[in-house]
Amino acid sequence: MSAEPLKILIADDNDSDRMILQAIVRKQGHKVVTARDGVEAVEQFKTTSPEIILLDALMPRMDGFEAARIIKQLAGEELVPIIFLTSLTDAKSLAQCLDAGGDDFLSKPYNRVILEAKINAFNRMRIMHSTLQSQRDLIAENNDHLLQEQQVAKTVFDNVAHLGCLHAKNIKHLLSPLSVFNGDVLFACQKPSGGMHVLLGDFTGHGLPAAIGAMPIAEIFYGMTNKGFAMTDVLREINQKLKQILPVGFFCCACMIDMSFARGDVEVWVGGLPEAVIYKSGGELIKIPSNHLPLGVLTASRFATETYRYDMSEGDRIFMWSDGIIEARNVDGDMFGEDRLYEVYQDVKNPSTIFSNIKQQVHNFIGEGERDDDLTIVEVEMVPEDRLGLDADVHLSKSALMGPVNWGLSYELRGETLKDFNPLPLLLHVIMEVPGLRLFSGQVYTVLAELISNALEHGVLKLDSNLKTTSEGFAQYYALRMQRLSSLDDAWVRISIDHQPEKSGGVLSIKIEDSGEGFDYSGFKDAKMNKDRYSGRGIPLLDSLCRRFEYMGAGNIVEAEFAWKTE
Amino acid sequence: MNDKVEHLDFSALAELREVMEDEFEILIETYLHDSAERVIQIKEAAQARDAEALSRAAHSFKGSCTNVGVPVLANLCMEVEQKGKIDNLEGIDELVASIEQAFLEVSELMKDQI
Repeated sequence: MSAEPLKILIADDNDSDRMILQAIVRKQGHKVVTARDGVEAVEQFKTTSPEIILLDALMPRMDGFEAARIIKQLAGEELVPIIFLTSLTDAKSLAQCLDAGGDDFLSKPYNRVILEAKINAFNRMRIMHSTLQSQRDLIAENNDHLLQEQQVAKTVFDNVAHLGCLHAKNIKHLLSPLSVFNGDVLFACQKPSGGMHVLLGDFTGHGLPAAIGAMPIAEIFYGMTNKGFAMTDVLREINQKLKQILPVGFFCCACMIDMSFARGDVEVWVGGLPEAVIYKSGGELIKIPSNHLPLGVLTASRFATETYRYDMSEGDRIFMWSDGIIEARNVDGDMFGEDRLYEVYQDVKNPSTIFSNIKQQVHNFIGEGERDDDLTIVEVEMVPEDRLGLDADVHLSKSALMGPVNWGLSYELRGETLKDFNPLPLLLHVIMEVPGLRLFSGQVYTVLAELISNALEHGVLKLDSNLKTTSEGFAQYYALRMQRLSSLDDAWVRISIDHQPEKSGGVLSIKIEDSGEGFDYSGFKDAKMNKDRYSGRGIPLLDSLCRRFEYMGAGNIVEAEFAWKTE
Repeated sequence: MNDKVEHLDFSALAELREVMEDEFEILIETYLHDSAERVIQIKEAAQARDAEALSRAAHSFKGSCTNVGVPVLANLCMEVEQKGKIDNLEGIDELVASIEQAFLEVSELMKDQI
């Protein structure tokens, strides 16, 4: 006898048969409701919701087959076992019972033992089914909840990650999400100096864990790039942050570039991702080795930031990708592979089609195959800076019209601080608080960077820029620089900055004084126009950017005035 | 009791008595009452040569006879049902007559059981 009494519907037009069945079922402890034909059976099912139904096949008004069909439809996803009562014995009739939605049949004369066993068996099945249903519903509900959370998180993430300039005209990219959250991240941001940082990262794993790691990367990347930090500083900071927050075994393979449109070159760091390539418009393909560990693996002291530098002419393109491209598999399980990838670069007629060709080739290769990694690829083209199509003030808040316009500061760097500390980001941060001046951040950066570097390298360290005219001299210059930096004690550099408002603009005055001996600047105006010398490049540039630019005192003081005006 | 034919399945009846308890008498009365109607239905269908109605009535009657433990009558019903199904009513009147006769005998025997 089953533990829980069930409500069982018995539908049979034959009074004596119904009585016998009712007596048997009651004796087993169940509650019985009865019907004398199919119409009554359907009605009883609607009003009394029985758990199991014993249904005679042949009945007047509506037969058991029809009643079974209607009841199964009404029951929907709930399992209501129907056992057909029949004295039919031919296979075709019995099959008809099951086809109509019956779960089993019971032949006349009724056998008490078999009937009880069947009722118990179907009750177990019914309970299992209902457990399965509720667990399925629970899983579906949890899954919906999870997806909804991920959607919200993705919106937040997208807002953080897409502050940058991925929409610049020289960038083509493909980010294909395997799940709502992609394990791949792609950031691009203009530097105050006018260049561009682009970072492609591939986190171990997908989904939420990857996205959580991506948030601080985005913050650091955009924050530091905006403030004028060098690529290596950004990488070092990201590495340290990821090392700190990610569990062991989680890291971010990455490739980062610093593209300078003014100099026409690119600096590249690749850690853990496949090698990147530069495609020169002449057809040459340069492979950039992946020679670092991923971000978040090494401690700060062991993290290496050596980079490769390449000249790029207008129309040259650099390509970076996650291993998802190379490891994309077709139906047979073969990988797309580097050979197929590099084949796209053979006999290129129009370099601007390379990107879409790669996309197409990978797509064709995968076919019906399953994607098992994120496919991310980005192309960055060397173009003149004014063709980036970026609105200069696009990332400036209009509300920044209020702010400090009339101020001055003095900042003195001494001894070992001169050696280790780069004051540029800090000073730029202060200067860029002047509403509207950020539009000129590239020029301000250039002026300030040149002046400070001149004061340190030529003033304090007494390095001769003429050395830099030959490549051996260049090396010697940097060797001397290292050597003299290590023996700085009483040296100092004093930076005074002053800003005065003028009509729809202002004047930024910069005065830099150093502890060096100065130099004879009497004939400097002529010499500084010598554009052929690499080392002299800073001076004519400064002269062209500044309203006033002159050396004073013993030549250890320089004053520059940068005047600016918005429309 | 009939000399030649063993109409009742006594072990089945014993089991029924056990299951039905106090309702055994009502069951038997119900069976006999229903069966009397079935016999009339079968007779009418046979006279009308309505094979389908004949088959259906015989099928239903066969079911209750099986359940109540009346095997001989059940077998006769099955023969009628088969004839109806294949629409071959040859010798049907004789068959229906023997059902009528058997039911009379069963009725007598059943009354002793109550």
